[in-house]
Amino acid sequence: MDDTSVSHAEPAVPRADMRVDIVCTGFGPATAGFLTTLGRAVLNDDGTTRIESTAMPGLPLQVLCFERADDLAAGVSGVVSRARGIRTSFPEFASAGVPLSSPVTDEQIVYLLDPVGASRRSRPLRAIDAMLRAGGRLLGVDRHGVRLPYIPPFLRKHDGVVLSLGQFQQWVAGQVMASGAAQIWPASPVAGPLFADDGARVTGVRMVDQGTDLRGAPTDAYAPGMDVFADLTVVGDGPIGAVGQALDAKFGLPDGHVRDEWALGMKMVVDLRDDVDLAPGTVIHTIGYPEPEIFGFLYVLAPRTVSLGIFVPSWFDSPLRTAYRYLQHWMLHPWLWRWLEGGTLRSWGAKSVQESGRRGEPVLVGDGYARIGEGSGSTNPLSGSGVDEAWTTGAQLADGVIELLSRGEPFTRDALERAYVQRRRASWVERELRVAEGARDGFTRGVVWGLAGMALAGLTGGALRIPRRHGQAHPRLATTVSADAWMDAQGWPAVPFDGRLLVTHQDALLMGGKVQAAPGYADHVRFDDLSQCRECTTHLCVSMCSGQAITDADEGGVAFDREKCVHCGACLWNCPDDNVRFTAGAGGLHAVEN
Amino acid sequence: MEFHIVVCAGLVPDPLQTLEPVMGPAGPGLKNEALLPSVIDPWAAHALFEAAHLARARPGSKVWLVSLAPKAKLQQVLMVVAQKVPFDLVAVDGPANGFTDASACAAALADAIAAIPGLDRQKLLVFGGWESASRAAGTTLQMVGERLGITEQFQGVDAVTVGADGAFEVLERIEGGRHQVATCSGAPAVCGWATGSLHEPPNSPQVGMMNMRTLMPALQKARAASVPLAGAFGAAAVPSARRDTRVVKDMSPDAIAQEIVEWIRQ
Amino acid sequence: MDPSMSVLVIVHTESDGALATPALEAVNAARALAQQLATPFHVGLVGAVVEPAAAALGTCGAASFRAVAGDAFAQARYATDVAAAAGIATAVGADLVIVPGTSRALRTAGGLAQRLGGVADTHVVGVAASAGVVSITRWFYRQRIEGTMSRTARPWVIALETGTTPAWAGAPGAGGVEAVAVSVETRSAVTGVRAPSTGEQTVRPDADLLLVAGAGWTKKQADGQVHAEAAQSAILGFLRASKASLGGSKSLVDQSGEGQAVLPFMTHLNQVGQTGSSPRHRKGLATCCHGEEPHVIGWRFVTERRAVNLNANCGWAQGKADVVYVADAFAVMKKVNELLGA
Repeated sequence: MDDTSVSHAEPAVPRADMRVDIVCTGFGPATAGFLTTLGRAVLNDDGTTRIESTAMPGLPLQVLCFERADDLAAGVSGVVSRARGIRTSFPEFASAGVPLSSPVTDEQIVYLLDPVGASRRSRPLRAIDAMLRAGGRLLGVDRHGVRLPYIPPFLRKHDGVVLSLGQFQQWVAGQVMASGAAQIWPASPVAGPLFADDGARVTGVRMVDQGTDLRGAPTDAYAPGMDVFADLTVVGDGPIGAVGQALDAKFGLPDGHVRDEWALGMKMVVDLRDDVDLAPGTVIHTIGYPEPEIFGFLYVLAPRTVSLGIFVPSWFDSPLRTAYRYLQHWMLHPWLWRWLEGGTLRSWGAKSVQESGRRGEPVLVGDGYARIGEGSGSTNPLSGSGVDEAWTTGAQLADGVIELLSRGEPFTRDALERAYVQRRRASWVERELRVAEGARDGFTRGVVWGLAGMALAGLTGGALRIPRRHGQAHPRLATTVSADAWMDAQGWPAVPFDGRLLVTHQDALLMGGKVQAAPGYADHVRFDDLSQCRECTTHLCVSMCSGQAITDADEGGVAFDREKCVHCGACLWNCPDDNVRFTAGAGGLHAVEN
Repeated sequence: MEFHIVVCAGLVPDPLQTLEPVMGPAGPGLKNEALLPSVIDPWAAHALFEAAHLARARPGSKVWLVSLAPKAKLQQVLMVVAQKVPFDLVAVDGPANGFTDASACAAALADAIAAIPGLDRQKLLVFGGWESASRAAGTTLQMVGERLGITEQFQGVDAVTVGADGAFEVLERIEGGRHQVATCSGAPAVCGWATGSLHEPPNSPQVGMMNMRTLMPALQKARAASVPLAGAFGAAAVPSARRDTRVVKDMSPDAIAQEIVEWIRQ
Repeated sequence: MDPSMSVLVIVHTESDGALATPALEAVNAARALAQQLATPFHVGLVGAVVEPAAAALGTCGAASFRAVAGDAFAQARYATDVAAAAGIATAVGADLVIVPGTSRALRTAGGLAQRLGGVADTHVVGVAASAGVVSITRWFYRQRIEGTMSRTARPWVIALETGTTPAWAGAPGAGGVEAVAVSVETRSAVTGVRAPSTGEQTVRPDADLLLVAGAGWTKKQADGQVHAEAAQSAILGFLRASKASLGGSKSLVDQSGEGQAVLPFMTHLNQVGQTGSSPRHRKGLATCCHGEEPHVIGWRFVTERRAVNLNANCGWAQGKADVVYVADAFAVMKKVNELLGA
């Protein structure tokens, strides 16, 4: 960990290489949309070749996808989605039998009051709370919560579906691979893009070295990561992906674009006790508790099976940010605990969400590469929707690629701009992203301003918004205080562990996330300059680490244990000094029901 | 001398998953069985790696992977395994459930092995896991060997050292953390592997691409096998093991040590 | 009740012709089963010398003693063992064949069933008959699930886990042995037994106490450093002083296998749990171990369980151990070793 001078010179063991036509990095919903759409064009219905490979003449187009996780779709989340793009690809989706999915049957937004008195609430919120408590049942207040009577149109998902993204992705992968049109390889982390000698063109990707110690030094099992050359590199490795990061570092973001809005989603799948009769397809979103800035969700995927969780945003301007303990207090809120009490943790996980939306859009295409999905700025922070947008950008790229292949055009920046970016710009994804641009800036002024800003932008089609305010309202604490100790001091009660649903953070990793890390890989989290860590007085990387993989170490430094890492990437955006190097690594969550 | 090595390997739930049996009308199964992530059976995976290692050292040798599992799950799990070592796949579409009958499973595997084109029975080594992490009986491989007429069998194997003439020495696990040492004049033989001593091979996209040429066609050709449950089940349950735990928080390490030593000496 | 159903127990003799405890347990189980079925039971003996064993079982009530004896059958070798067992079972016309769950008998249980055209179950922890129906209780999914089942297929080979039934302890008597002729050719020979070359015996199946080392021993401690030497001396010192057996989690054993030399004496033979062994000991002490389910499976047959762990709310505290000491295992074990050495 403290060795940041690992040599990346060419290894003594020769580095193998191979050539394919298209290589994709990351198997998320964007790549799933890409491969589904492209796959249907590569082969004829009788299995014969429609688009021939140039890399391997005589064979069909050779399309590879590399996914870093140990299983396809390990660790992704429960979602509610209008599934407009997904249903365009799969018109019969509703009856396709995807496990743990259901049409939306009921949609609620619930404002949660603070039943324990520890929540950090502003004066305006306290006034609202007091009013609601005074009004009691007359105002619909029940179990310290109130269901809002109105859901603005831009937030509604009533025509959509709830699904386990893990199960959905596995279902898609099965279809793509059975067709023979593409190969999707899990447990295959990609180290970064390969560039042509002139530095301007992406020529493929380099896989992560294997058979190394934690610092990346070769052991006797050393196998240097292979170079995979391709005419087109499809970058769908999400907001913290190694290839996307490298491209951003090389090409920068377009003028005026910035990626400064993030959230950590921490979630569980829970089996409810037998007498709970929440209807499948029920969608509950919460605001107000455990802290006003923390949103929650509970989706009923199947009878007595729910996906639930919270989002801790980067603009949660508190002395200390953390997620797991807040998730437990959120579950214990009486509005939710009536259903969750007696439940059993089935799976657990966490993920960083890039919430800058269109303002965080990178350079979408260049010679030899194109970017799709969340890492391409497709997540809509106003509607709180990203999966369907990601899927759609993947499908749009595939349509463009098919067009270029059919014309025999190379994958140049100009060609991809015409064939993909213009499709994207003309679509509902772009239209809605423009409405959402800056819609949540008001949260920098407080939750009430933030919600008002969302409503303003959403209801005026983006014409009006509340501008952001820069600066930090609260001092950060010294690192000697652990997240738990700080929350205890704020008056948060002790969590009544039950060994089933309310379990320790480490038990959540073991029982829920089944977190594992195969040996033979270098640490994928490193700290560029440990002296900076020693001087850092916040260590937000520690308090926001979803797996307690980063811990305080001697002399004020920090230490990383890859066996506990769930690859959420929170350390990356929570380091105030930009001192965390987060690359792709194998291992992590082994839960595919999320 | 070269070998024709057939590795029998099933799928089992990823070892860290929580397993809960449920009794259906026909018998037991696992709760959410279709949703549980699967892996190739750990000991059988070792057998596969050892097979590939042996085949590499004996030019002209060849490795087949014979697997009886639900086809869709197999396709998914093979995307991990196929990156590790080269092999030809022989897929049999059937249940991976641990409550099924070993004899019927062995019959399906033996039939599939017997039907492999070009397989030379005199060069045949049947490898597999000593026990699976599902049925966990350690009987299937023996039955497969018997069906193929192989009388030289070894179980709990941690090492096979082959001489120039094809004869080999084998280490089998026995009681007391020891190994029994045996010699065998050569193939045909059956080896039920424990962990062996090899590193898990790195993932290689090249190996994966090569395997894919036979993998998908083999999956498409997979014949369905009927493998019934082992018998009439009265119950299947995770034994209740909950204890009334005393949590000691405020004792010094020395006092704890004293208490532990007294307990040990009781 | 099926009076025509015949019960056979097949056991191997030791080099001196005597029977080890697992064999005596299997005999007792077969005897009890035959009584429940009101049918005779037969004893099959395999080994270099069998007469002392037959004499030791002289009063067990067996209807007959059949044996395959001779030097060729002294070795724990598949080809000879399966031929001997099949010869005896065929001679008796056995429907139910009980064998002990030893490595030797388990090596052939499936092959024996196949030769007889029957079925086999192993890791059986209980066998009983009621109204003529034989049912067994056995482990599935590597000791994670227990199932009770009956079969109609015969012959049925049942390998009984050791330690699950009392051993036959009756008086010796005259046991007339009928030799069963078996001719077998084999290309294999057993040449010896080898202990792992780790320099230190750490697996002791007969020990009273199992020490389970968790991956925490190899992690950075409170001072941010790994203390491999202290861990090694604490663990080995304890094993020497207490004569305990050592078990480890998969992650710890894997680390040692990867050449990180954190605890070099750990091998896969020490591994307990899902892909390791399920040792039986009267007491178990877990150290730096988190109590995740696969570890606990390895503990299923450990009667009294205590754990030393820094986290008061860890899995061990949720009903998996009798006592959880919230403390630094490094400090505790150092003192334990001092006290044991004193």
